[in-house]
Amino acid sequence: MSDYAIIGKRMPRVDSRAKVMGKAKFTADLKLPGMLVGKIKRSPYAHARILNIDTSKAEALPGVKSVVTGKDTEGVKWGVFAYTRDQEFIQTQKVRYIGDEVAGVAAVDEETALKALDLIEVTYEELPAVFDSMEAMASETELIHGDFPNNINVHVNIDTGNVDENFKKAHYIREDTFVAPEESYFQAEPYAIVARFDHEDCLEIWCPNGGPHMKSKPLSNAFKIPLHKVKVRKIAIGGAFGGRSEICPVDYICALLAKKTKKPVRIQFTREENTIATRQGHAMITTHKTGVDKDGRVLARETTCYMDGGAYSSTGPIATSVPFLSMEQAYRMGSVRYNGYRIYTNKPIRGMIRTHGRGFAAGLDTQLDMIAEHIGIDPVEIRLRNSRQPGEYTSTKSYVDSCAMDETIHKAVEKSRFKEKWGKLPPLHGIGIGTNSVQTGFPMGIRGGSQSFIKFNEDGEATVMSGVVDNGQGNDNMLVQIAAEELGLLPEDIHLVSADTETTSSDPGSYSQVSTFVGGHAVKIAAQNCRAKLFKVASKVLKVSPDKLVAQNRLIFVRDDPEKSIPIKKVVRISLLNFNSVNAEGGYWPKVDMKREWVKNPYGQMCEAFSFGTTIVEVKVDPNTGQVEVLEATAAQDVGYALNPLVLEGQFEGSIAMGGQGGMLTEYHEWNGGRCINPTMLDYKLPLACDMPPKINNIIVESVDPKGPYGAKEAGMSIAMSAAQAYSAAVSNAIGVYMDSFPLTPDKILAAIKSKES
Amino acid sequence: MRLPRFEYIEPINFEGALDLLYIHKDNAKVLAGGTDLLVRMKKGLLKPKIIISLKALKELSYIKKDDSYIKIGARTSIADIIASDLIKKEACALFEACEKIGAVTIQHYRGTIGGNILQDNRCIHYNQSAFHRSGRQPCHKDGGKICYARDASDRCNSTCQSDGATALMALGANITLVRKGTERIIDLDNFYTTDGIMPFAMESNELLKEIVIPIQGGKSSYKRLAYRSAIDYPIVSAGVFLKSSDTSKNEIEDARIVVGAIARAPIFLAKASSFLKGKKFNDISAFKKAADISMDNASTFAVHNVGSTLEYRCAMVSEMVFQALKEAAIVTQE
Repeated sequence: MSDYAIIGKRMPRVDSRAKVMGKAKFTADLKLPGMLVGKIKRSPYAHARILNIDTSKAEALPGVKSVVTGKDTEGVKWGVFAYTRDQEFIQTQKVRYIGDEVAGVAAVDEETALKALDLIEVTYEELPAVFDSMEAMASETELIHGDFPNNINVHVNIDTGNVDENFKKAHYIREDTFVAPEESYFQAEPYAIVARFDHEDCLEIWCPNGGPHMKSKPLSNAFKIPLHKVKVRKIAIGGAFGGRSEICPVDYICALLAKKTKKPVRIQFTREENTIATRQGHAMITTHKTGVDKDGRVLARETTCYMDGGAYSSTGPIATSVPFLSMEQAYRMGSVRYNGYRIYTNKPIRGMIRTHGRGFAAGLDTQLDMIAEHIGIDPVEIRLRNSRQPGEYTSTKSYVDSCAMDETIHKAVEKSRFKEKWGKLPPLHGIGIGTNSVQTGFPMGIRGGSQSFIKFNEDGEATVMSGVVDNGQGNDNMLVQIAAEELGLLPEDIHLVSADTETTSSDPGSYSQVSTFVGGHAVKIAAQNCRAKLFKVASKVLKVSPDKLVAQNRLIFVRDDPEKSIPIKKVVRISLLNFNSVNAEGGYWPKVDMKREWVKNPYGQMCEAFSFGTTIVEVKVDPNTGQVEVLEATAAQDVGYALNPLVLEGQFEGSIAMGGQGGMLTEYHEWNGGRCINPTMLDYKLPLACDMPPKINNIIVESVDPKGPYGAKEAGMSIAMSAAQAYSAAVSNAIGVYMDSFPLTPDKILAAIKSKES
Repeated sequence: MRLPRFEYIEPINFEGALDLLYIHKDNAKVLAGGTDLLVRMKKGLLKPKIIISLKALKELSYIKKDDSYIKIGARTSIADIIASDLIKKEACALFEACEKIGAVTIQHYRGTIGGNILQDNRCIHYNQSAFHRSGRQPCHKDGGKICYARDASDRCNSTCQSDGATALMALGANITLVRKGTERIIDLDNFYTTDGIMPFAMESNELLKEIVIPIQGGKSSYKRLAYRSAIDYPIVSAGVFLKSSDTSKNEIEDARIVVGAIARAPIFLAKASSFLKGKKFNDISAFKKAADISMDNASTFAVHNVGSTLEYRCAMVSEMVFQALKEAAIVTQE
């Protein structure tokens, strides 16, 4: 597998230079002629009935070009699924969280737009509000959404059968509850959007997105215009992490303002808006009950999770499932019953996030460590006894093909010297391990596949068209690398046209970890098809059959006689002179079970590949302050095949920052009623570069997936999850107390040390 | 977020700045770095008509030794203080405090010592956007009659989180305030009021000119706790000063313990400080006791309003004071 010219090499990303130099253009940098500034009027109440909205004063303000309210939306609602359409783009009846959209304004400048917001008079009747899932379920006050009793938004039930019987057979059973509050993404780029309607009434949109085609279809539905009339354009994106995978009201409002004013409109979120009015990670209360045999093998597990979903459904059914799925993929279980409840509360909307269910996963792993201690084996051993193996089916009936979970465990254990350190570290030093698995894709119906087109230009360079979007994780580079490899060109010869719904075909987007596996795969097939055309022409010139040819370094040559060659540029020109096109297409559709549905039928093939990862962390706890110093982190992931180790290492380290250092030590939201107290980067404690562990070991494990392009699969999320688990395990190990409330802030750690002493 | 409109003036000398303050008084605010002022303006907490920038006043940027005093110009950058051997040797607490302010990029590019010690008090319920503060009653500091940090409180409970202020108060510093025609010197102990709304005894036409630290031959130390290693305000801090007696080097003749980020102003803890007088430098249990007294006395002022938990912050008063005392004692004995 090592005879690739470009794939598998440590290649600096094609987009890095522009970003490092500050030259890359993000949505907020866009300036279109005549562009107006849009602003959103938001609810200052957590739950209130809208009695009246008077926009007359705002409309009369000089410089204000349009004011829109719920009256202008024709009642359209948003929801990812037909059965979760519960959010009006602009509220007409009532508001359900502090930040809910009640009006939008477009004006000549920001100052005028802000003044206009103050002039919009909204009369509310405040309603009792609920701020956590338990309170919301028990509440007898007005439901947040009338048709959802007990404020239960989504209930996912998974039951493999035999759970109760297997508990009876268990040698040891534990039941523990773990809690974690909500967290935020803090993408480097706050959300922004520019919209305009062109002279043919086509809607053009620029915004950070998890998939342009995931934006265009709902917008075409909302505006009742054909899909080809919604053109989501490519723009540099400063992060998504799952938080930008669906459309949100501001997309609709910005487009509506553009439509009304017939001018481009830009809406740029403040950091606070990005925190409270996009998406957050769910707060969760998770109870795991696990029964094992005398060797520590899990016979039965019952997990119940209450997720604070906030005011609307968003990706609710998916979000309610993924924390469970990650664990059922990572570990074998004799039988399992899962009940996930997503509860409406009067708080910001919760969606997908890279560290999905930090408390859920860290709780499950903490409990495994407790069980291991009880039966007298170490944390590594209990994982190895329960770890997923290749060729198995998950509890929800997904076949697992490539799987190097055990190899990630062994390599991380060896590198971190876990076995030498476990139980032998000085007091208040600790080491912990976490293992996890992430799916490479979700069943997404007709949008589950990706198609690519490639055309050669007469100078011998190629243009690649793909719907894949780059959120900052390096997808553009991935596409370029694949195309260059297959076409025999250098990366600088590849010109990428991507993430634009007008010029590219449907694509599932990046949010289900599927960009390389599906989108990259499509480019690979298209490039192979294109290369075959070149070989056909070259074979006539070189007088050998096409299967003897190789394309590399801008040349086509004979494999066994490299001196016999012809420049690709020349082949292209010969081809054109002989009336032959030099372009091609290719597509890839993962073979998933289309009948699998998140709530109605959560069984069947979920995706074609799963990634597996292990993180081990060593920490030192200050017994006087409860502060944690991370000495070393070791991350090992089965990525299938490393297309670019440099990019992967960046993903691993970013994952440790997000899932471990931030996710397990410092990051959480504080509230005063429904008001988010820490919406900014100053108050929400994201780790900085100087907070990171002094030593991070990155271990790339390659199981070479039979279906993935070059064997590649998911590589940006698994470590974020296992890092959360490893951080919590290491701290618990250091202080000798199993922690059940995350993140592990110094106050909690100090309290745990004190309670142990007394 | 957007800055409200204002007129920007950059006087070219000290006298010019005083003239402007004399004319504009309450309508003007002084910009000496901006990391506190501009953020508050963006949040709509402050809408000055005029900003008087001290950017061009190089004459206010100096660190010098004058007899038995260190004199620091108000506009001196945090980075210059960190780089000063004089400060490190004679006023180590200030050096340690400055190292913790903002981040390296703020220390050398924007942050000034004057700006740091004159930063307004903070509170998680007050330092919020206009949107956050809408839909509820304004708090005391915001012109209302409610405190969100402490139920039924009839006054503002905002917290002074200046690192520099706590260290300088421990060092017994005073400051020189100048207005057109007159100047006055005031101890930091008296300068910081206990009014959360107006935390300094300073007139709107006054300008901070200089900070004066007496060189008393003692040793000082500053410790603080925050969630992050940079770009973070302290959630509790302690500055201490210890001086040995002329006759017995192992005996504490004078001690000053100041706790910061816990109340409306840095608090000089007289009882804990005087407890240490006459104690030995190697008497760890005395330091522990002084730290506990500090915690008992300081905790009564604390409210939950700068992050973390109240219980934790109060517990950490003792720890920070203890750590600072230990360090100052070790340095003294070296």
